[in-house]
Amino acid sequence: MSAVAGSLPTVDGEAIEAIAQDFFATMVDGEHGVLVPGYGEMAPLVDARFTWVDVHGETVTRVLVAVGRSTGDMLTRALLALPDDAPIGDADFADAAGEVVNVIGGNIKSLVHGGGALSLPQVADAAPDCGGAPLISETWFTWRGAPLTLTLWNLPEHAGSAGRP
Amino acid sequence: MKALVIDDSRVMRRIVSGILNGAGFDTVEAGDGREALDQLEAHPDVVLCCIDWNMPVMTGFEFVVEARKRQEWRDITLMMVTTEGEHDQIVRALAAGAHEYVIKPFTPEIMLDKLELLGLLDPAVQA
Repeated sequence: MSAVAGSLPTVDGEAIEAIAQDFFATMVDGEHGVLVPGYGEMAPLVDARFTWVDVHGETVTRVLVAVGRSTGDMLTRALLALPDDAPIGDADFADAAGEVVNVIGGNIKSLVHGGGALSLPQVADAAPDCGGAPLISETWFTWRGAPLTLTLWNLPEHAGSAGRP
Repeated sequence: MKALVIDDSRVMRRIVSGILNGAGFDTVEAGDGREALDQLEAHPDVVLCCIDWNMPVMTGFEFVVEARKRQEWRDITLMMVTTEGEHDQIVRALAAGAHEYVIKPFTPEIMLDKLELLGLLDPAVQA
């Protein structure tokens, strides 16, 4: 977990870890202990994909999940209850990855001071432009042996994807 | 009994529909609130709507408001199934006419408990 500096919004790193682990245990794996926090140096993401939502409150907090595409495909199969060898198209991948960050981001919203509207999830094969925004927190996990990162960014006011009322 | 599952995520529609099918419901689906209004027109036998909040075109909250304007749909049970778990959001949805609230992530047991609370579980299926 990264240090939080200056006047940046503070978030409870352990609570963020718990939100992610609870989501995976409840809706992906059916048990705790499959998504586990990583320690030390993270293995690089291979063919990385990025999915994010923005929480609009007193500031804009971007919740960003990054995974390798093959890990994302495994996650999609798990969520859609597909066989291990089922091919995963881009639409299914985007739907599954988007829902992962939607649920995690929606729960993180309650931790963010003044958390208000939540944007619809975005999915891309490149990291979104955060405009040099400061990192609020960074956590990495391993899921079925593969790395997955969860980061929060403090975007400038009026930045980010539009939130819904 | 028939239920309408309203969520812009196919993943989440599959999960919710799977739980409802296991509880004896037939299900139809919609990807946003506007499509859900059309589905209610097409399926007048729907008794339960499971509604995500954050969707494109028409949000779940806007759907609840619109559905509650229609006299012929007043007996339909509206259950929010959403990540929007803050107290203010829950109060807002219930005030607009939703009956119950399930916060994602959820287990099948949580959803079945809510259905039982609402009197929507068929004892023959439960047995």
